[in-house]
Amino acid sequence: MGLQCFFGGTTIQTLRMAVIPASSSSRFIFGKPLSKTLTLNSLSRRCSSINYLKKPPFTLLIKAFSSTAEQTAPSTESVENRSVVKPQWKAAIDFKWIRDNKDAVALNIKNRNSNANLELVLELYEKMLAVQKEVERLRGERNVVANKMKGKLEPLERQKLVKEGKNLKDGLITLEEDLLKLSDELQQEAQCIPNMTHPDVPIGEEDCSTMRKMVGSPHEFSFPVKDHLQLGKELDLFEFDAAAEVSGSKFYYLKNEAVMLEMALVNWTLSEVMKRGFTPLTTPELVRSSVVEKCGFQPRGENTQVYTVEGSDQCLIGTAEIPVGGIHMDSILAESMLPLKYVAFSHCFRTEAGAAGTATRGLYRVHQFSKVEMFILCQPEESESYHEELIKIEEDLFSSLGLHYKTIDMASGDLGAPAYRKFDVEAWMPGLGRYGEISSASNCTDYQSRRLGIRYRPSESSTNPKKGKGKLAPTKFVHTLNATACAIPRMIICLLENYQQKDGSVVIPVPLRPFIGGLERIAPKFPQDE
Amino acid sequence: MKGKLEPLERQKLVKEGKNLKDGLITLEEDLLKLSDELQQEAQCIPNMTHPDVPIGEEDCSTMRKMVGSPHEFSFPVKDHLQLGKELDLFEFDAAAEVSGSKFYYLKNEAVMLEMALVNWTLSEVMKRGFTPLTTPELVRSSVVEKCGFQPRGENTQVYTVEGSDQCLIGTAEIPVGGIHMDSILAESMLPLKYVAFSHCFRTEAGAAGTATRGLYRVHQFSKVEMFILCQPEESESYHEELIKIEEDLFSSLGLHYKTIDMASGDLGAPAYRKFDVEAWMPGLGRYGEISSASNCTDYQSRRLGIRYRPSESSTNPKKGKGKLAPTKFVHTLNATACAIPRMIICLLENYQQKDGSVVIPVPLRPFIGGLERIAPKFPQDE
Repeated sequence: MGLQCFFGGTTIQTLRMAVIPASSSSRFIFGKPLSKTLTLNSLSRRCSSINYLKKPPFTLLIKAFSSTAEQTAPSTESVENRSVVKPQWKAAIDFKWIRDNKDAVALNIKNRNSNANLELVLELYEKMLAVQKEVERLRGERNVVANKMKGKLEPLERQKLVKEGKNLKDGLITLEEDLLKLSDELQQEAQCIPNMTHPDVPIGEEDCSTMRKMVGSPHEFSFPVKDHLQLGKELDLFEFDAAAEVSGSKFYYLKNEAVMLEMALVNWTLSEVMKRGFTPLTTPELVRSSVVEKCGFQPRGENTQVYTVEGSDQCLIGTAEIPVGGIHMDSILAESMLPLKYVAFSHCFRTEAGAAGTATRGLYRVHQFSKVEMFILCQPEESESYHEELIKIEEDLFSSLGLHYKTIDMASGDLGAPAYRKFDVEAWMPGLGRYGEISSASNCTDYQSRRLGIRYRPSESSTNPKKGKGKLAPTKFVHTLNATACAIPRMIICLLENYQQKDGSVVIPVPLRPFIGGLERIAPKFPQDE
Repeated sequence: MKGKLEPLERQKLVKEGKNLKDGLITLEEDLLKLSDELQQEAQCIPNMTHPDVPIGEEDCSTMRKMVGSPHEFSFPVKDHLQLGKELDLFEFDAAAEVSGSKFYYLKNEAVMLEMALVNWTLSEVMKRGFTPLTTPELVRSSVVEKCGFQPRGENTQVYTVEGSDQCLIGTAEIPVGGIHMDSILAESMLPLKYVAFSHCFRTEAGAAGTATRGLYRVHQFSKVEMFILCQPEESESYHEELIKIEEDLFSSLGLHYKTIDMASGDLGAPAYRKFDVEAWMPGLGRYGEISSASNCTDYQSRRLGIRYRPSESSTNPKKGKGKLAPTKFVHTLNATACAIPRMIICLLENYQQKDGSVVIPVPLRPFIGGLERIAPKFPQDE
């Protein structure tokens, strides 16, 4: 916790840190042991749960931070020769449940290709329980001694008791230290355990995912189909080359009607989702790294998708799921407040570490994009039905835009650590000649809420708030869900490629026209060579 | 040494050649060092100043124009924070936990208001011939420097990404300025007029006090920015055009404001002349800056390497280098069309009603689904 407090987020701290050149050595100066990075790198075996990353990536140069750190000898304290770093926060993991259901948990870990070490978790848990018991026993004995010393005693007897008391105290201190270390290590290992899996989820790798639904079919074109890059060039909609100079590859400017199209998509999507009872939000795009971790992402893992701000504990968000998940962290909500339904608009930033190849041309895989995201907090027994509600909303939106798409029930090997179940939507992109992911809807059950500390109090007792603690029903963890309502660049690809006309123009789908000043088509700017 | 030589003479020449070579290497190293040091020092020299700019500190700035007057309220005026709380428009406390101080969530009608402001502003400025853009918000630090900012200075306003040379932009001026860097434009392309929408990130290092409560000074905000590249002789008139557009926009929204000609001690290094607009914020009880319009002449273009070729020779591109007119540096200008949080403060505080609601200015209504007012969510205590 001490390390966490150091970066209290004051701007003065940040400004001094900014003077230091960008390198991992800045970590030294502020007392953060590099070992923290090393250990957390080892946690990268957790599945990356970011929607767009599917292939095992190789390290991007930007993450020089991680690789440089590995060259320096760590100074960690170790418990039985393992490196342990004090976690900055604790997930409220139900160890007893894990122990009581260890076969199911083990099978789940295997099905998800997770590297979580269940044996170690159980071992540490038992040890911790044993040490706890011993601590309690010693405390009991110490109390007995203390009570004895309150009465009249012979000097010799008193001396003997004092010595005994001191021995007990020293023993306790050692045990309590051990308990702390065990507890930290248990946390570190247990946090790697992925969420359980819905029984209907297909078991296996990506190719085992099953199709839930298909809407429409690929449009037949009577002329050669262009991809979005070519359309963008001819219609003067993007600028990639200048962006590569100014910012680097996978950055872009949108121009002209593409800007209007982005605005229209965001406004229409927000409007449609608000109609369904969601509260609109805009969110911070810089958040504390602990919040990123609590949502199930890894800011400091190898191949991390997360940009970190130099000299601070802040990261750029890869999705509004993170700041929205954080709104109610460390809170107890009244049952009557649930469900909470948010629709959030934000820019998103992703390093896309390791992603390469043609599937990353143009707008398909970029470092920065706009996205409208849906987020629900609800009671556990309702999360499955809200998952269905979210995928239905997505399907309604994409159908309204006239897209041809399929909804996929993602296989166990392709779920992110937080997701109990995940539905992806892939839309037909004629220019790419294949389906491309345009959205993802996850039911994270209590995985995120146990880390973010989001509870609710069931209502039996909410009518008697003042009757004393004994009368209140115990709190439970909420379930959280998130779903992409609109990821702008992929939507732009879909609209340009599907709605292209023979004359080189692109038709604007009818639902968007009121949000784009009535514009019906994007017309070519330059004469076309036939 | 190319001709026939006696061995002794050759030896003498070889030695002389070597001495010269060594001398040259040393001198060339000196030249490089001097050149680097000269660059470093010279880059500190600020732009020249327009002769009409008042000389002195901030208090010497002069008022060019005032539009309207402070609205008289028949009831106690609330500030935007209180209005935001009552109308459930902001969330500051959760943001402080998630991100830190000076961060916020917008909620409900505030989100719709931001969308409406952005869309209306883009639409209005596009009507005036500006090309709309959205921009990268991560840029190389060299581009930030070339625009006249200091990513690594003390009290820097700039966030840097760990382990890279990238920074978060504080204004779309930076990525837009970078579009044509290291380029030679045809004269016929000028003027280039862009209107860019982006999120902006600022550390606000060192800023503290009541003037930073709520939305007034935040680390992240949305902004619509105008940017012009033009021929040198035209920059003054485009500066007038930019301030006129800003004034039209603010007048359309019914704001009371004054336009200030900033004094020499208060210009940024790049600005030849700078006009700020300060709008009346009744909740704050004072004027607050809502926009800034700068003519940077060739300060940025000399750093960004943006030139144009005057047209005498553009009809003869293939006649050889000798026939082309020498390139010149363009002039660049930038101006805030709409800075969302300060605009939200203005609208909430100026348009508040006795019953706690806030009226939406008429021009924005088509962009906010026809909504005419933001009504209180909770019963008001009278």
